[in-house]
Amino acid sequence: MTARALSARSLLRWLSLLALAAGCHVAPIAAQELIAHPSAEIATLTRNEARLYFTLRLKTWPNGRLAKVFVLPDNHPIHQRFTNEILGLYPYQLRRVWDRQIFSGTGQAPITVDDEQEMIQRVATTPGAIGYAAVPNEHPDLRVLQVR
Amino acid sequence: MSHKLSLPIALAAVIAPTLGHAIELAEGRLQIHGFASQAVVATSANRYYGNSPDTSLEFTELGLNLSYQLDPNWLFSGQLLARRAGEMYDGSPSLDYALVDYAFLSDAERRLGLRVGRIKNPFGLYNETRDVPFTRPGIFLPQVIYYDKVRNLLLSSDGAMLYGDLFGPQGNLSLTLSAGQAVIDDNVEWTYLGEDFDGDLESDSASWKTASLWYSTPADDLKLGLSAILMEMSFDAGAASPLDAGSIEVFDWIASFQYNAKDWTLSAEYARTPTRWHDFGPLFPFTDQVMEGYYLQGAYRVRPDLEVMARYEEGFADRGDRGGRERSALTGGVVPRYDFFSKIFTLGLRWDIAQNLMLRLEYQRHDGTFAISWRENPDPGDLVREWDVFAASISTRF
Repeated sequence: MTARALSARSLLRWLSLLALAAGCHVAPIAAQELIAHPSAEIATLTRNEARLYFTLRLKTWPNGRLAKVFVLPDNHPIHQRFTNEILGLYPYQLRRVWDRQIFSGTGQAPITVDDEQEMIQRVATTPGAIGYAAVPNEHPDLRVLQVR
Repeated sequence: MSHKLSLPIALAAVIAPTLGHAIELAEGRLQIHGFASQAVVATSANRYYGNSPDTSLEFTELGLNLSYQLDPNWLFSGQLLARRAGEMYDGSPSLDYALVDYAFLSDAERRLGLRVGRIKNPFGLYNETRDVPFTRPGIFLPQVIYYDKVRNLLLSSDGAMLYGDLFGPQGNLSLTLSAGQAVIDDNVEWTYLGEDFDGDLESDSASWKTASLWYSTPADDLKLGLSAILMEMSFDAGAASPLDAGSIEVFDWIASFQYNAKDWTLSAEYARTPTRWHDFGPLFPFTDQVMEGYYLQGAYRVRPDLEVMARYEEGFADRGDRGGRERSALTGGVVPRYDFFSKIFTLGLRWDIAQNLMLRLEYQRHDGTFAISWRENPDPGDLVREWDVFAASISTRF
């Protein structure tokens, strides 16, 4: 799997270089976006930081505010794509980490919302919130985070 | 089924499916989660989680927990567990864990904190959440390592635990160190002394020490761990006890491996437990042994909601006497030699009907009876060496 992921990653990098060289705008493959409430006061995250937030092992933003993590149900297509493409994990791995924390008392789980609309609405109205969406977002109370 | 459990089960059956997901208050900082599970177990011989030769329903698990993240540093949590497991557990609710967690330091590179209270022991891949069906690889954990007959030796302790994490581009390292008092019960006495004699077996104060070290790659595909427990117990002999007031020293360590791919997960663990008995008097036959257990387990996800699992495990009361001949001779042949080893093949199916509802089917072929409880099978003359297990379970969560 590592070899496959690596080759997929290098292929992507190669494709984006090609696209840049051709002067085109590179759109993310599935228009997956990491979104946050403006109070997080952050514009970019590394993939590792995104994993730490979504596994709830990192609980605060650099400004000290408590992060509130929102996710869609495990079997939701947007959740599956976000987990694979942005976090580089499989949904069952996230579930395993959350369950260990919930049922051993050493941590918590993200807040599950039912659909993308609720996700956008909750993230836009909850200070410190982070979540994701499939459609490009123009919501004035949301920041789209770049994943480095 | 015990009456104590019927009300909580009925409640769980009504509440859980209607909830859909966890109860969250204070913008998710206060969370309530729970689970309920009922298994049916049938065996060709030997009692396994109840009167299984006649089909047993005596394997029921219920849990309810609450956690509160006061601020980024302080976390409070606790869980009540009711567990019915044949003659071993009667389903009375017990405090599974209750702790306060303070993080001194937490950022994208590291984390350092302290937990105080009743804390689950991060021993091996499964011990911390061993009673939560959704987190187990099958209906039964690999018994040669996660013995249900002495689960409380591994389960948790009352004390303090220091934890630290390092997060880096090469992977994550996690270390825990703890000291406290083990929460032991009658099953431990049955297993280490052979029956429930007059008197109490107790963990010496602060005699329980644990350590665990885990490494995982950044995407959690490879996971490696080493964990250990060191503990001492004293037997306070009553007037009617044929045994003297002795003590037992147990050192239990385990090496863990797991590889996670998209459709499959491969897991293997190896554990060894040197044990010494001191001063129990002339009537007690054993002085020392090195218990050993290992397994190899593969899980394949045919679809995201359908998983097939196969496992082979072996466990021995004493790795110097894997056939059990010497130990059987020590008992004058009363206990057959196959009661000192277990070799188990397991085939399981997991179907996640919905996110909160799971159905499992499992078959096991056993050679030997070391994995099963003496408390459930008090007469060694009744033990059968080769036997089969058929089990099914239904579990829900919120």
